[in-house]
Amino acid sequence: MSTVTMLSRTLRRTAVDTRIPSSALPPTFLLPSRARYFNSTTQHVESPPEDLSSSVPTPPAANAQLSKHTQSKLSKIPSPPPPPSKPLALSDSIKELLPLLAVQPSHYISAHIHGKPYLVTVGDIVRLPFHMPGVVPGDILRLNRASAIGSRDYTLKGSPYVDERIFECRARVMGTEAEPMRIKEKTKRRNRKVKTVRSKHKYTILRVSELNVKALEELEG
Amino acid sequence: MSYFRITLMRSGIGLPKRTQGVLKALGLRQIMKTVFYPVTPEVAGQIMKVKELVAVQEVDRALTKEELKAERRPDPGFYLESAVPR
Repeated sequence: MSTVTMLSRTLRRTAVDTRIPSSALPPTFLLPSRARYFNSTTQHVESPPEDLSSSVPTPPAANAQLSKHTQSKLSKIPSPPPPPSKPLALSDSIKELLPLLAVQPSHYISAHIHGKPYLVTVGDIVRLPFHMPGVVPGDILRLNRASAIGSRDYTLKGSPYVDERIFECRARVMGTEAEPMRIKEKTKRRNRKVKTVRSKHKYTILRVSELNVKALEELEG
Repeated sequence: MSYFRITLMRSGIGLPKRTQGVLKALGLRQIMKTVFYPVTPEVAGQIMKVKELVAVQEVDRALTKEELKAERRPDPGFYLESAVPR
């Protein structure tokens, strides 16, 4: 009998020992499940919509319909602009200073998306203030409107925009984020009815993946 | 045939009724409203009556409502370079 209890005790001890000692764990309020409560905005990264991701195994009939749907979504994305007809005309000061800007280690760009400027550098994550239709995570967008490109010591300002051939800026679509649901109570005077309006907007997340200022030889050659 | 491109830059509020009537006749009901009229002495006279309020340009062609809207819309500033398979 005593041997059995002994054995069970040692078993229990080994079981306790194999567990991670509680001191090694961070306090409970730092665990991911708890830390979520701190964040005011819920992070909600969306996988591609089902109709798009499931388009691979679907039968051809449904696929054709889906592709039409996808095409209508894709048509909302701006297409690449036609190649500019005029050759690039650089002023003397740009010719002189652009190489100096290009060799500087890190650059920033003030990229304009739908007319709104975003001052970013490589690696920045941008939450656009709107939901970009038709894009899915993984898409690479080329940003071709910039009002300024600069580094620590030099800035190239456009009037109003820098020529899009001078730089290369790409951003990857990371996903969609949703804001916490907002509930607004609408009331009319002399009426007890309260209408609650719910809204939960989605925002597209971009990550600036690449920013290059081209060298003078590339531009002229 | 050339056209006047007339844009109302300042409101006609507080001006004589006769001046406001000219704006109404031109179809300028709010600030930044743009209208097109063929270049004729009659229209030129109307413009002279409200010349302090409008910006006038002579253009070759009257733009449609959609074209005016497209003119105001900013450039998207991006395009899809490589799409993931979908």
